[in-house]
Amino acid sequence: MSTVDLPKEQDLVEYRVDRILEEANTDTRIVVLTRQDGALDTFPIWVGAAEGNAIKLALDTMITPRPMSHDLIKSFAEHLNITIQRVVIVDVKSSTYYAMVHVSNKGVDRTIDARPSDAISLALRAPCPIYITQDVLKRRSTTNLDAWLAKLESKDIGTPEVQET
Amino acid sequence: MISQMHVKGLMFDPYNNAYIVVLRDDENSDMLPIWVGKSEAGAISMSLENVTPPRPMTHDFMKSLLDAYNAKVISVVITDLSEHTYFSKIHLMYEDSEYTVDARPSDAIALALRSNAPVFANNSVITKQSSEELEQWLENLKPEDFGKLDS
Repeated sequence: MSTVDLPKEQDLVEYRVDRILEEANTDTRIVVLTRQDGALDTFPIWVGAAEGNAIKLALDTMITPRPMSHDLIKSFAEHLNITIQRVVIVDVKSSTYYAMVHVSNKGVDRTIDARPSDAISLALRAPCPIYITQDVLKRRSTTNLDAWLAKLESKDIGTPEVQET
Repeated sequence: MISQMHVKGLMFDPYNNAYIVVLRDDENSDMLPIWVGKSEAGAISMSLENVTPPRPMTHDFMKSLLDAYNAKVISVVITDLSEHTYFSKIHLMYEDSEYTVDARPSDAIALALRSNAPVFANNSVITKQSSEELEQWLENLKPEDFGKLDS
Protein backbone atom coordinates (compact mmCIF):
# COMPACT_ATOMS: atom_id res chain seq x y z
CA MET A 1 0.00 0.00 0.00
CA SER A 2 1.15 3.47 -0.69
CA THR A 3 0.58 6.92 0.59
CA VAL A 4 1.06 8.69 -2.75
CA ASP A 5 -1.87 10.62 -4.14
CA LEU A 6 -3.93 8.44 -6.41
CA PRO A 7 -4.13 9.72 -9.96
CA LYS A 8 -7.45 11.17 -11.02
CA GLU A 9 -9.68 9.36 -13.46
CA GLN A 10 -9.19 11.92 -16.25
CA ASP A 11 -5.42 11.55 -16.00
CA LEU A 12 -5.52 7.88 -16.93
CA VAL A 13 -5.09 6.51 -20.44
CA GLU A 14 -6.08 2.91 -21.06
CA TYR A 15 -3.59 0.59 -22.75
CA ARG A 16 -3.63 -3.05 -23.70
CA VAL A 17 -0.88 -5.61 -24.16
CA ASP A 18 -0.15 -5.83 -27.87
CA ARG A 19 2.67 -8.34 -27.82
CA ILE A 20 5.77 -9.60 -26.07
CA LEU A 21 9.05 -9.27 -27.90
CA GLU A 22 12.08 -11.40 -27.20
CA GLU A 23 15.38 -9.66 -27.13
CA ALA A 24 17.96 -11.84 -28.80
CA ASN A 25 20.79 -13.10 -26.60
CA THR A 26 19.51 -11.46 -23.44
CA ASP A 27 17.41 -12.50 -20.51
CA THR A 28 14.88 -9.76 -21.11
CA ARG A 29 11.55 -9.38 -22.85
CA ILE A 30 9.77 -6.26 -24.06
CA VAL A 31 6.10 -5.89 -23.22
CA VAL A 32 4.59 -3.68 -25.89
CA LEU A 33 1.50 -1.80 -24.75
CA THR A 34 -0.72 0.04 -27.24
CA ARG A 35 -3.59 2.43 -26.65
CA GLN A 36 -6.95 0.80 -26.12
CA ASP A 37 -8.74 3.57 -28.08
CA GLY A 38 -6.71 2.83 -31.18
CA ALA A 39 -4.71 6.07 -31.12
CA LEU A 40 -1.19 5.50 -32.33
CA ASP A 41 1.19 5.02 -29.46
CA THR A 42 3.30 2.15 -28.29
CA PHE A 43 4.64 1.97 -24.78
CA PRO A 44 7.43 -0.58 -24.32
CA ILE A 45 8.37 -1.94 -20.91
CA TRP A 46 11.47 -4.05 -20.40
CA VAL A 47 10.95 -7.02 -18.09
CA GLY A 48 12.84 -10.17 -17.11
CA ALA A 49 12.42 -13.41 -19.05
CA ALA A 50 10.36 -15.15 -16.36
CA GLU A 51 8.11 -12.10 -15.99
CA GLY A 52 7.72 -11.82 -19.77
CA ASN A 53 6.84 -15.49 -20.03
CA ALA A 54 4.19 -15.12 -17.31
CA ILE A 55 2.59 -12.32 -19.34
CA LYS A 56 2.88 -14.29 -22.57
CA LEU A 57 1.08 -17.28 -21.05
CA ALA A 58 -1.85 -15.04 -20.14
CA LEU A 59 -1.80 -13.20 -23.48
CA ASP A 60 -1.97 -16.49 -25.38
CA THR A 61 -4.61 -17.76 -22.88
CA MET A 62 -2.48 -20.83 -22.31
CA ILE A 63 -3.69 -23.18 -19.61
CA THR A 64 -0.78 -24.66 -17.71
CA PRO A 65 -1.15 -28.04 -16.00
CA ARG A 66 -0.34 -26.41 -12.65
CA PRO A 67 -1.22 -22.88 -11.49
CA MET A 68 1.55 -20.37 -12.17
CA SER A 69 2.33 -17.65 -9.60
CA HIS A 70 -0.16 -15.12 -11.00
CA ASP A 71 -2.83 -17.79 -11.32
CA LEU A 72 -2.31 -18.36 -7.61
CA ILE A 73 -2.74 -14.64 -6.90
CA LYS A 74 -5.98 -14.70 -8.89
CA SER A 75 -7.05 -17.80 -7.00
CA PHE A 76 -6.44 -16.04 -3.66
CA ALA A 77 -8.55 -13.11 -4.86
CA GLU A 78 -11.36 -15.45 -5.90
CA HIS A 79 -11.31 -17.35 -2.63
CA LEU A 80 -11.40 -14.16 -0.55
CA ASN A 81 -13.85 -12.33 -2.86
CA ILE A 82 -11.33 -9.65 -3.71
CA THR A 83 -12.04 -7.89 -7.03
CA ILE A 84 -9.01 -6.80 -9.01
CA GLN A 85 -10.34 -3.55 -10.45
CA ARG A 86 -7.52 -2.08 -12.45
CA VAL A 87 -3.79 -1.65 -12.63
CA VAL A 88 -2.15 1.70 -13.18
CA ILE A 89 1.42 2.53 -14.13
CA VAL A 90 1.87 5.51 -11.85
CA ASP A 91 5.51 6.50 -11.83
CA VAL A 92 8.89 6.23 -13.47
CA LYS A 93 12.16 6.77 -11.65
CA SER A 94 15.60 6.09 -13.13
CA SER A 95 14.09 4.07 -15.99
CA THR A 96 12.06 1.92 -13.56
CA TYR A 97 8.30 1.94 -13.85
CA TYR A 98 6.06 1.67 -10.79
CA ALA A 99 2.57 0.22 -10.82
CA MET A 100 -0.40 0.11 -8.46
CA VAL A 101 -2.95 -2.67 -8.37
CA HIS A 102 -6.39 -1.46 -7.27
CA VAL A 103 -8.40 -4.06 -5.41
CA SER A 104 -11.73 -4.02 -3.63
CA ASN A 105 -13.49 -6.26 -1.16
CA LYS A 106 -16.92 -5.49 0.27
CA GLY A 107 -16.47 -1.79 -0.37
CA VAL A 108 -12.97 -1.68 1.13
CA ASP A 109 -10.61 -0.40 -1.55
CA ARG A 110 -6.88 -0.90 -1.38
CA THR A 111 -3.98 -0.10 -3.69
CA ILE A 112 -0.96 -2.37 -3.72
CA ASP A 113 2.50 -1.43 -4.93
CA ALA A 114 3.70 -3.73 -7.70
CA ARG A 115 6.19 -4.07 -10.49
CA PRO A 116 4.48 -3.43 -13.86
CA SER A 117 5.24 -7.03 -14.89
CA ASP A 118 3.26 -8.45 -11.95
CA ALA A 119 0.49 -5.89 -12.42
CA ILE A 120 0.12 -6.63 -16.14
CA SER A 121 0.35 -10.38 -15.63
CA LEU A 122 -2.47 -10.15 -13.11
CA ALA A 123 -4.53 -7.69 -15.21
CA LEU A 124 -4.61 -10.13 -18.12
CA ARG A 125 -5.76 -12.94 -15.86
CA ALA A 126 -8.30 -10.98 -13.79
CA PRO A 127 -9.16 -9.55 -16.37
CA CYS A 128 -9.07 -5.83 -15.67
CA PRO A 129 -8.03 -2.69 -17.53
CA ILE A 130 -4.45 -1.39 -17.62
CA TYR A 131 -3.90 2.37 -17.37
CA ILE A 132 -0.91 4.66 -17.63
CA THR A 133 -1.04 8.12 -16.08
CA GLN A 134 -0.61 11.19 -18.30
CA ASP A 135 2.32 12.13 -16.10
CA VAL A 136 4.16 8.87 -16.83
CA LEU A 137 3.34 9.16 -20.54
CA LYS A 138 4.99 12.58 -20.52
CA ARG A 139 8.01 11.46 -18.54
CA ARG A 140 8.35 8.05 -20.15
CA SER A 141 11.77 6.54 -20.09
CA THR A 142 13.48 6.38 -23.44
CA THR A 143 16.81 5.16 -22.11
CA ASN A 144 16.14 1.53 -22.93
CA LEU A 145 14.46 2.35 -26.19
CA ASP A 146 17.36 4.51 -27.36
CA ALA A 147 19.85 1.79 -26.47
CA TRP A 148 17.74 -0.80 -28.20
CA LEU A 149 17.32 1.27 -31.34
CA ALA A 150 21.03 1.97 -31.41
CA LYS A 151 21.71 -1.76 -31.36
CA LEU A 152 19.17 -2.31 -34.11
CA GLU A 153 20.72 0.34 -36.27
CA SER A 154 24.11 -1.27 -36.18
CA LYS A 155 22.77 -4.70 -37.07
CA ASP A 156 19.45 -4.68 -38.81
CA ILE A 157 19.12 -1.47 -40.67
CA GLY A 158 20.97 -1.39 -43.93
CA THR A 159 19.24 -4.34 -45.53
CA PRO A 160 15.84 -2.81 -46.11
CA GLU A 161 13.26 -5.10 -47.56
CA VAL A 162 11.63 -3.43 -50.46
CA GLN A 163 8.04 -4.44 -50.78
CA GLU A 164 5.91 -3.46 -53.67
CA THR A 165 2.21 -3.72 -53.40
CA MET B 1 -0.11 -38.13 9.04
CA ILE B 2 1.89 -35.05 8.26
CA SER B 3 5.37 -33.98 9.35
CA GLN B 4 6.68 -30.49 9.70
CA MET B 5 9.50 -29.80 7.26
CA HIS B 6 12.18 -27.13 7.27
CA VAL B 7 13.64 -25.51 4.21
CA LYS B 8 17.29 -26.44 4.51
CA GLY B 9 18.55 -24.82 1.36
CA LEU B 10 18.80 -24.79 -2.37
CA MET B 11 21.12 -26.70 -4.64
CA PHE B 12 21.79 -26.41 -8.33
CA ASP B 13 21.22 -29.53 -10.38
CA PRO B 14 23.54 -29.15 -13.36
CA TYR B 15 22.20 -32.30 -15.05
CA ASN B 16 18.65 -31.00 -15.31
CA ASN B 17 19.61 -27.33 -15.30
CA ALA B 18 17.20 -26.82 -12.42
CA TYR B 19 17.29 -26.10 -8.72
CA ILE B 20 16.41 -28.36 -5.81
CA VAL B 21 14.71 -27.08 -2.68
CA VAL B 22 15.76 -29.38 0.14
CA LEU B 23 13.21 -29.94 2.88
CA ARG B 24 14.06 -31.90 6.02
CA ASP B 25 11.86 -32.99 8.88
CA ASP B 26 12.41 -32.07 12.54
CA GLU B 27 14.55 -35.09 13.32
CA ASN B 28 16.58 -34.66 10.15
CA SER B 29 15.69 -38.22 9.25
CA ASP B 30 13.55 -37.61 6.20
CA MET B 31 14.48 -35.46 3.29
CA LEU B 32 12.26 -34.18 0.52
CA PRO B 33 13.96 -32.73 -2.54
CA ILE B 34 11.73 -30.63 -4.79
CA TRP B 35 12.91 -29.62 -8.24
CA VAL B 36 11.99 -26.06 -9.19
CA GLY B 37 12.80 -23.61 -12.00
CA LYS B 38 15.32 -20.79 -11.85
CA SER B 39 12.96 -17.91 -11.12
CA GLU B 40 11.09 -19.99 -8.51
CA ALA B 41 14.42 -20.81 -6.85
CA GLY B 42 15.26 -17.10 -6.89
CA ALA B 43 12.03 -16.30 -5.05
CA ILE B 44 12.86 -18.86 -2.35
CA SER B 45 16.52 -17.91 -2.13
CA MET B 46 15.70 -14.23 -1.47
CA SER B 47 13.67 -15.24 1.57
CA LEU B 48 16.27 -17.68 2.85
CA GLU B 49 18.98 -15.06 2.61
CA ASN B 50 16.74 -12.25 3.93
CA VAL B 51 17.35 -10.15 0.86
CA THR B 52 14.98 -7.23 0.45
CA PRO B 53 14.77 -6.39 -3.24
CA PRO B 54 14.30 -2.72 -4.24
CA ARG B 55 10.94 -3.55 -5.80
CA PRO B 56 8.42 -6.14 -4.55
CA MET B 57 8.93 -9.49 -6.24
CA THR B 58 5.90 -11.59 -7.24
CA HIS B 59 5.60 -13.34 -3.86
CA ASP B 60 6.08 -10.07 -1.98
CA PHE B 61 3.17 -8.69 -3.97
CA MET B 62 1.19 -11.86 -3.21
CA LYS B 63 1.79 -11.31 0.49
CA SER B 64 0.89 -7.59 0.23
CA LEU B 65 -2.47 -8.55 -1.25
CA LEU B 66 -3.18 -10.94 1.63
CA ASP B 67 -1.92 -8.37 4.18
CA ALA B 68 -4.17 -5.68 2.67
CA TYR B 69 -7.20 -7.67 3.84
CA ASN B 70 -5.67 -9.25 6.93
CA ALA B 71 -5.66 -12.72 5.45
CA LYS B 72 -3.04 -14.95 7.11
CA VAL B 73 -1.14 -17.89 5.73
CA ILE B 74 -1.57 -20.55 8.44
CA SER B 75 0.37 -23.34 6.84
CA VAL B 76 1.51 -24.98 3.65
CA VAL B 77 1.20 -28.71 3.04
CA ILE B 78 2.97 -30.71 0.34
CA THR B 79 0.11 -33.11 -0.30
CA ASP B 80 0.97 -35.40 -3.16
CA LEU B 81 3.56 -36.57 -5.60
CA SER B 82 2.32 -37.82 -8.92
CA GLU B 83 4.46 -38.48 -11.99
CA HIS B 84 7.36 -36.37 -10.71
CA THR B 85 5.05 -33.43 -9.91
CA TYR B 86 4.51 -32.30 -6.34
CA PHE B 87 1.18 -30.86 -5.30
CA SER B 88 0.61 -28.56 -2.38
CA LYS B 89 -2.08 -26.62 -0.56
CA ILE B 90 -1.91 -23.22 1.09
CA HIS B 91 -4.15 -22.82 4.13
CA LEU B 92 -5.40 -19.28 4.70
CA MET B 93 -7.33 -17.74 7.56
CA TYR B 94 -9.56 -14.84 6.63
CA GLU B 95 -12.35 -13.38 8.78
CA ASP B 96 -12.59 -16.51 10.96
CA SER B 97 -12.88 -18.83 7.98
CA GLU B 98 -10.26 -21.17 6.64
CA TYR B 99 -9.56 -21.40 2.91
CA THR B 100 -7.50 -24.01 1.11
CA VAL B 101 -5.85 -23.00 -2.15
CA ASP B 102 -4.10 -25.28 -4.65
CA ALA B 103 -0.52 -24.20 -5.48
CA ARG B 104 2.76 -25.38 -6.86
CA PRO B 105 5.18 -26.17 -4.00
CA SER B 106 7.59 -23.47 -5.20
CA ASP B 107 4.91 -20.77 -4.80
CA ALA B 108 3.68 -22.28 -1.54
CA ILE B 109 7.19 -22.40 -0.03
CA ALA B 110 8.13 -18.91 -1.26
CA LEU B 111 4.96 -17.56 0.39
CA ALA B 112 5.38 -19.62 3.59
CA LEU B 113 8.90 -18.24 4.09
CA ARG B 114 7.62 -14.66 3.70
CA SER B 115 4.72 -15.32 6.07
CA ASN B 116 6.67 -17.24 8.72
CA ALA B 117 4.20 -20.07 8.20
CA PRO B 118 5.13 -23.71 8.80
CA VAL B 119 5.61 -26.14 5.91
CA PHE B 120 4.30 -29.69 6.29
CA ALA B 121 4.48 -32.75 4.08
CA ASN B 122 2.13 -35.69 3.93
CA ASN B 123 4.03 -38.76 5.05
CA SER B 124 2.85 -40.58 1.94
CA VAL B 125 4.79 -38.06 -0.15
CA ILE B 126 7.94 -38.65 1.86
CA THR B 127 7.54 -42.40 1.42
CA LYS B 128 6.85 -42.08 -2.27
CA GLN B 129 9.93 -40.00 -2.84
CA SER B 130 12.41 -42.81 -3.00
CA SER B 131 15.67 -41.63 -1.59
CA GLU B 132 17.50 -43.80 -4.08
CA GLU B 133 17.11 -41.28 -6.83
CA LEU B 134 18.61 -38.51 -4.75
CA GLU B 135 21.43 -40.61 -3.38
CA GLN B 136 22.40 -41.65 -6.85
CA TRP B 137 22.33 -38.04 -7.89
CA LEU B 138 24.39 -36.96 -4.89
CA GLU B 139 27.03 -39.55 -5.69
CA ASN B 140 27.47 -38.04 -9.12
CA LEU B 141 27.98 -34.57 -7.72
CA LYS B 142 31.36 -32.99 -7.93
CA PRO B 143 32.56 -30.65 -5.16
CA GLU B 144 32.43 -27.65 -7.48
CA ASP B 145 28.68 -28.14 -7.90
CA PHE B 146 28.19 -26.87 -4.37
CA GLY B 147 28.88 -23.28 -5.25
CA LYS B 148 26.94 -20.32 -4.06
CA LEU B 149 23.58 -20.11 -5.68
CA ASP B 150 23.50 -17.32 -8.18
CA SER B 151 20.02 -16.02 -8.63
